[in-house]
Amino acid sequence: MLGKLSWSAIPFDQPIPLIAGAVVVLLMLGALALVLAKGWMPYLWKEWITSVDHKRLGIMYVLLGLLMLLRGFIDAIMMRAQQAVAYHAQGYLPPEHYNQVFSAHGTIMVLFAAMPLVIGLMNFVVPLQLGVRDVAFPTLNSVSFWLTATGALLVNISLVVGEFARTGWLPYPPLSELRYSPGVGVDYYLWAVQISGIGTLLTGINFVTTILKIRAPGMTYMRMPMFSWTALASCLLILAAFPVLTATLAMLTLDRYLGFHFFTNEAGGNAMMFMNLIWAWGHPEVYILVLPAFGIYSEVISTFSGKPLFGYRSMVAATLFICVVSFMTWLHHFFTMGAGGDVNAAFGISTSIIAVGTGVKIYNWLFTMYGGRIRFTTPMLWSMGFLTTFITGGLTGVLLAVPPADFILHNSMFLVAHFHHVIVAGVVFALLAGIEFWWPKAFGYRLHEGWGKATFWFSIVGFYVTFMPMYVVGILGMTRRLQHYDVAEWHWWLQISSVGVLILIVAAGCQVAQLLVSYIRREELKDITGDPWNGRTLEWVTTSPPPVYNFAVLPQVIDTEYYWELKQRAFEQARLSEEPKYEAIEMPRNSPTGFVCAFFATIIGFALIWHIWWLMIVGLIGAYATFVVFAWRDVPEYMIPADEVAQQDRARRAARQHILNTGEVAWQ
Amino acid sequence: MTAHAHGDDLEHEEDDRGGASDEHMAHLGTYALGLVLATGLTIASFWVAKTHLIYDPGVPMALATLAVAQMGIHLVFFLHLTTAPDNTNNILALAFGLLIVGLVIFGSVWIMDHLNHNMMPMQQIMQMQR
Ligand code: HEM
Ligand SMILES: [Cu+2]
Repeated sequence: MLGKLSWSAIPFDQPIPLIAGAVVVLLMLGALALVLAKGWMPYLWKEWITSVDHKRLGIMYVLLGLLMLLRGFIDAIMMRAQQAVAYHAQGYLPPEHYNQVFSAHGTIMVLFAAMPLVIGLMNFVVPLQLGVRDVAFPTLNSVSFWLTATGALLVNISLVVGEFARTGWLPYPPLSELRYSPGVGVDYYLWAVQISGIGTLLTGINFVTTILKIRAPGMTYMRMPMFSWTALASCLLILAAFPVLTATLAMLTLDRYLGFHFFTNEAGGNAMMFMNLIWAWGHPEVYILVLPAFGIYSEVISTFSGKPLFGYRSMVAATLFICVVSFMTWLHHFFTMGAGGDVNAAFGISTSIIAVGTGVKIYNWLFTMYGGRIRFTTPMLWSMGFLTTFITGGLTGVLLAVPPADFILHNSMFLVAHFHHVIVAGVVFALLAGIEFWWPKAFGYRLHEGWGKATFWFSIVGFYVTFMPMYVVGILGMTRRLQHYDVAEWHWWLQISSVGVLILIVAAGCQVAQLLVSYIRREELKDITGDPWNGRTLEWVTTSPPPVYNFAVLPQVIDTEYYWELKQRAFEQARLSEEPKYEAIEMPRNSPTGFVCAFFATIIGFALIWHIWWLMIVGLIGAYATFVVFAWRDVPEYMIPADEVAQQDRARRAARQHILNTGEVAWQ
Repeated sequence: MTAHAHGDDLEHEEDDRGGASDEHMAHLGTYALGLVLATGLTIASFWVAKTHLIYDPGVPMALATLAVAQMGIHLVFFLHLTTAPDNTNNILALAFGLLIVGLVIFGSVWIMDHLNHNMMPMQQIMQMQR
């Protein structure tokens, strides 16, 4: 009846996951009780859960990403604590538990923290930057989000019901095959990643379509803001790479569920094919993350230097170059598997070449700052911190791309230091900068600068103290993923690294404090004009927060940095452009399709993990029925009358006119 | 390039263009032709696999050729890929797709070939483990 599921799946004998799980469940129940008691449920359901508004979905993506970032960070703290004490000792985490922690950490950080944050910012910003009202397929967008949430939920369920994979964030066979991992851990991984992967793929389709087909009149490709360009490149990579991931994991699933032999040791299977295919996705994946990060830095640096982005065209070229070349380097993740000198040399060279594209970008940012009047706001600090850290992070990558060096450093702590160097100081810094930068647009008030700067300084110091020692122990011969060790030289370095984590905990505390303080003091931090930073792109034309339809009248773009030009003209002539003629606006209706689909997807996933076949069939029927109901609905849109649009836009114009009259500009 | 609130408009646009019923019939005609061609190619591949008219080692090649032709038919008749100027995006997307698929397949074959070549024969590994 319940497949493999029984009471023994709940780890009553292991206090750590049990207590952690209980706390999370209690928190969730508490939140739910609060929502119900206060009568917020109808609001939440109508305005958020069923919303197909790209801005709301973006905000929910970011919220999901931040929560998962916290969960992944807790895993990280546990690992650092373990390695700080497990010298000549077993530490407090038994091996089978330690293995789950590092596997969950990697999976969560890449797929359920960084990806939702990147996609969330893309959702919020891209339609605004393109000067349009929504994405190409609004309901599909909601489906994407909720499927991603399903994946995250499944990973977290594994904490209390059953176990998670012990195979690392990429489940290498033969270890991940049924023979060596008979439990449900790998199955949790597979279904969580597959379901959220479908969500990601749909996002890719949605945004490629949006950016290629739906832009404000006059917004040619070469007038698109840099962040939108990088979003396009990233989504093209999603379209090309995620099917590879899906197919590879599907093959592993067939091995585990139906006795196939794609990657087994026996019956003609070949485990090396798995490494090959998973990295054909895995390397593009790191660029899916880092390209939008580069886009964020471009916007931030240009805005706070008060200058257009230096070498816009070369930046676009470098982005597209990276987009293609990132599909020619994947073997550098398994130089040591033995493809031989010729193949290794070719991929070593292609890997080094990709750093050229990145180098071009670094110079562009430096020259954008050069001669500019720089405002040292929090987003700008994150960006400048990134410029310093990323150069060394990229260089260690180039070092690893030299096959003979990689034979020594592969799978060592040096590698771990490298990818944290580029992902933490490259992607995560960008995401925090982006959240800081676009927060006023999303919520109508700026974030507190003091707490933001504190977060930045603790983060960058904590980052160096945590990860630099890892390079050292890597060179001293320490391999990754060690549950305990008895080499005296490593011990001190690992303890320093743990001190670094303490500093990062302070940083995380400052970040939370910043959000709280800013919320409490939102009146004095209010963004009245909709353009708090003296911005240059179209998202700053509209109010903060923008109305559902984003723009009362679609902007007619006639220039690069069109908004900047418009603003300068308004200042010169001390008046706004003529009031446009307002028309009624048609907007897509909200729909519970995404949420209901994800509900059934969760059931399907859970049933497949525990081999509860009847439940899986129920889930499939439910999901299909949802789709049919959606396909049959006959009123997909509603109208916002012209009067209402006019009224709202006149208020916005009045706020702007006020600035022009008084000359008061409170730009940070 | 025009602006739309959202994608449903894209579909409306298509609908409006092909609104007249004789155009619908023309559409139907291309679909029917596509179906005939696609079915023909499918039957042909079953026939190729069974027949002895073709030099045996050449059969995989023949099947691959038929598969590529099948994809072409699908692209032209069902996905309406043309060389018209409003189709640039689709052509570019196809080119990008082909490039990436080509890179991944070519790279994988090359890599796996070298890996297998460099692998010790199984018996030797077994002996080392003794
Ligand atoms: C600047 C150019 C870069 C170069 C030349 C480079 C090179 C490399 C190489 C050669 C490896 C494999 C080392 C080994 O396994 O022995 C590696 C691993 C890795 N890199 Fe990079 N990298 C670069 C940038 C990045 C960026 C921007 C990211 C992420 C945003 C990234 C994320 C990773 C990850 C996650 C791994 C290891 C994954 C694992 O084994 O679990 N790298 N890099
Ligand atoms: Cu790579």
